[in-house]
Amino acid sequence: MTDSSRANVVETRNVWKIFGDRAGEALEAVRRDNLSKDEVLERFDAVVGVRDVSISAGAGEIFCIMGLSGSGKSTLVRHINRLIEPTAGEILVNGVNVGMLKPEELLAMRAESIGMVFQNMALLPHRTVRDNIAFALELRNVDIFTRNNVADKVIELVSLKGYGDRYPSELSGGMQQRVGLARALAADPDILLMDEPFSALDPLIRRGLQDEFLELSASMKKTTLFITHDLDEAIRMGSRIAIMKDGEIVQTGTPEEIVTKPADDYVADFVAGISKLRLVYAHTVMIHIEEFESRGSKLPAIEECPRAHPEDDLDKLIGLAVNQENPVIIMDDSTPVGVVTKDALLRGIQGET
Amino acid sequence: MSSDDDIRKPFLEFAGPNGAYYANVFLKIQKATLNRTHLNPVALVGSFVWAALRGSWLLFTIGFVIDLVAAINVALYFKFAKAAVDNVDRAYLVERYEGWSESHIIAAVVIFILGRLLFSWLADRLYVIQYNRWRINNSVNSGVSLTRLVIVTIVSVLIVPPMIYRASQFSPDARTCIKQDRAIDRGEEVSFKARFDCFAIGEFPTLFWIDRPDQISFPRDENGERIVQRTPPREGSPPVNLNTLVAQKIDDGIGYVTVFYAFLFDEITRLLRTMLTAITSVFVGTPWPVTMGVLLFVAYRMAGIRTTIFVGASLIYLALFGFWQTAMDTLSLVVAASIICVVIGLPTGIWVGKSKRAQFIVTPILDVMQTIPSFVYLLPAIAFFSIGKPPGILATVIFAAPPMVRLTALGIRQVSEDTKEAALAFGANPRQLLTKVELPLALPSIMAGINQVVMMSLSMVVIAALIGAGGMGYIVTEALENTETGRGVLAGVGIALLAMMIDRVVQKANLGRR
Ligand SMILES: Nc1ncnc2c1ncn2[C@@H]1O[C@H](COP(=O)(O)OP(=O)(O)O)[C@@H](O)[C@H]1O
Ligand SMILES: [Mg+2]
Repeated sequence: MTDSSRANVVETRNVWKIFGDRAGEALEAVRRDNLSKDEVLERFDAVVGVRDVSISAGAGEIFCIMGLSGSGKSTLVRHINRLIEPTAGEILVNGVNVGMLKPEELLAMRAESIGMVFQNMALLPHRTVRDNIAFALELRNVDIFTRNNVADKVIELVSLKGYGDRYPSELSGGMQQRVGLARALAADPDILLMDEPFSALDPLIRRGLQDEFLELSASMKKTTLFITHDLDEAIRMGSRIAIMKDGEIVQTGTPEEIVTKPADDYVADFVAGISKLRLVYAHTVMIHIEEFESRGSKLPAIEECPRAHPEDDLDKLIGLAVNQENPVIIMDDSTPVGVVTKDALLRGIQGET
Repeated sequence: MSSDDDIRKPFLEFAGPNGAYYANVFLKIQKATLNRTHLNPVALVGSFVWAALRGSWLLFTIGFVIDLVAAINVALYFKFAKAAVDNVDRAYLVERYEGWSESHIIAAVVIFILGRLLFSWLADRLYVIQYNRWRINNSVNSGVSLTRLVIVTIVSVLIVPPMIYRASQFSPDARTCIKQDRAIDRGEEVSFKARFDCFAIGEFPTLFWIDRPDQISFPRDENGERIVQRTPPREGSPPVNLNTLVAQKIDDGIGYVTVFYAFLFDEITRLLRTMLTAITSVFVGTPWPVTMGVLLFVAYRMAGIRTTIFVGASLIYLALFGFWQTAMDTLSLVVAASIICVVIGLPTGIWVGKSKRAQFIVTPILDVMQTIPSFVYLLPAIAFFSIGKPPGILATVIFAAPPMVRLTALGIRQVSEDTKEAALAFGANPRQLLTKVELPLALPSIMAGINQVVMMSLSMVVIAALIGAGGMGYIVTEALENTETGRGVLAGVGIALLAMMIDRVVQKANLGRR
């Protein structure tokens, strides 16, 4: 998934954001003395929101940013459409430096190439669902007829058919967030910024919306920065996950990398409660065939053993290992490459590989 | 029982002397079993001295004021009793002073007895609050302390004698004191008591006298141009005080502006008159059946049938008692003033709502505009625009514009940051943010502002009749001058109906839309 040949649609380079009147001064001091967030607050009465963050998201990717409340996720993502100006560093969207845009270009970019979804929906209460969804188009002076047409298509896309003439207050939370999503999609932007879009919803509704969004995303291929404070959600949604703490990125990687190789105790704590069954693959837990043999263990005949592919997950391996004396042989094409014994499987479920 | 001792311990520690009594009372208060008529006997006798010892400054103030007021009434009793004796040869004065002295002694007794009862009733109930605060913060006064008594004695000695002295003397009036000041300047003998009374118990003494300033006038020169002419004061004319000096300067300033910028005021006057004429021609120029029909229709569409019935009844009242033309006149003034208020107030309100600095500048101005009594606005209006309807409208606008600004600003400020952020994220420019997000969301507040503007305009338009704005207010002023109570009452009811009519319609229309 970390295909380096893919163009980076969204990229931040060493972005810093410090809130406060003495931000510049504070930035210098932090860079020089590597001060902590608390020290900066005490010495400069300034809050470090984002600390030297470089991330990049490729086309069509869902890039999750995960972290506890106050870790700087919202601040970071608001740099992408320049709702917040960085204290230092630069932001590139489709290779264009956002900081260099003229005011009119910036407005055009916000309206046409970036859609944003908010945790608290932030719909306009005095406008109908349709007019909310067409808001970005209206700001670009698109005529009413086109606007309504587009809006009605998007309304169908998010399964809100028949609700176009209602007001947001008449809708449930889940439906309101569909409107929020539809509003972000209406101008058909390449990039979606989603700031904890499902956090305020009930677990069941959240689950449904996650699935729906994954489906939409698979067909529309929009580059998405998806913010969440919930690792489960990050793992479900993200092709890659960046974990933030106190404004810093502490680890970036695929869900499996995060779960199997947490960079530090902070990430490990997060990961501790996560079920690994669908995240860890055979190639991670298997013992290489040479190593297996070099230990002097005897490999049963391949035909008597259950066989699996290196990309199969633990869930599948368990299914194969049940009611079996023999270990699972991992086959790449037709050559055996590794062995998963019951012990290795159990360790894998526990998260120790 | 040891647990009972544990419960009482903090009470005892707090109260110090006589702790058992307070532990008892506080416990009852906490259990809500304190007798409703419970009084603190020590407080009944000791009053503010008790409060001072116990360190409750609130109770001290209450007790001190009660006793002081009673004492002042006693002093007043003696003053008027003595005055009655001094003026024994003038029967009407004797009667008056005796009446006053009697009422003061009654007041003294009643205040003293009821006040002391109230004080001792409050004593424990307030003292327990101090205990609660002491539990949280141990530096709150507790126990009994003689230092506090010393402080209180000093304060009392400073306050009580002058208060009593002031009450027992007839205070000299300002004029007497000014004369006395001059006499002292001339080196005449003035008794110490007279000096002291002028200094301490009359008007605040004039600390410094200022030379009388030049008289300024604006005659025409030989070419017919206006010039500024200064005439020095006559030799030996007496000095003036600060009030006279500044008032004179203000008059000079106004005079200067009205003489040299007359064209400006003429232009504004003309503008207002044009606008008013246009509006008046609608209200007054239309035959009454048409106006009445339209008004009823508007009321029905905006506010429903019940309000329309009320409006109909009110209109019939105005018509039957012969107030129709006058009421329409008043309405025209109200509409003209309200339009100006909205045109000025809405942008100002938006500005104040969006800019911290504007808020910093404008809010105090609005505060002043709203606290000044309404008829004070008539003075500058007359000064710059003479009398008639235009200055009446201007005074009305100054009086009625503040709520428009305030409520617009409030509405703008109430729009949540999240909503605004969302609009910005979708590419709204500042103008779009204002027209598509902020103003629509502020609309209920803005409408409330318009409602207030209309109501305040109506009340001010009535007062503006004093400077010749005419309308319903004129009938009332005329009735006041000629003591025609009946006519005054009828017109008053008409004004009230007019106000209620407008208020109901505007308010209902507001509710309906939300
Ligand atoms: N406008 C602001 N002014 C000052 N501090 C801010 C501002 N916005 C965010 N912060 C601070 O920056 C940090 C990161 O906030 P935020 O990005 O909202 O975190 P998250 O979205 O991860 O919960 C927090 O400590 C927050 O208090
Ligand atoms: Mg956030």
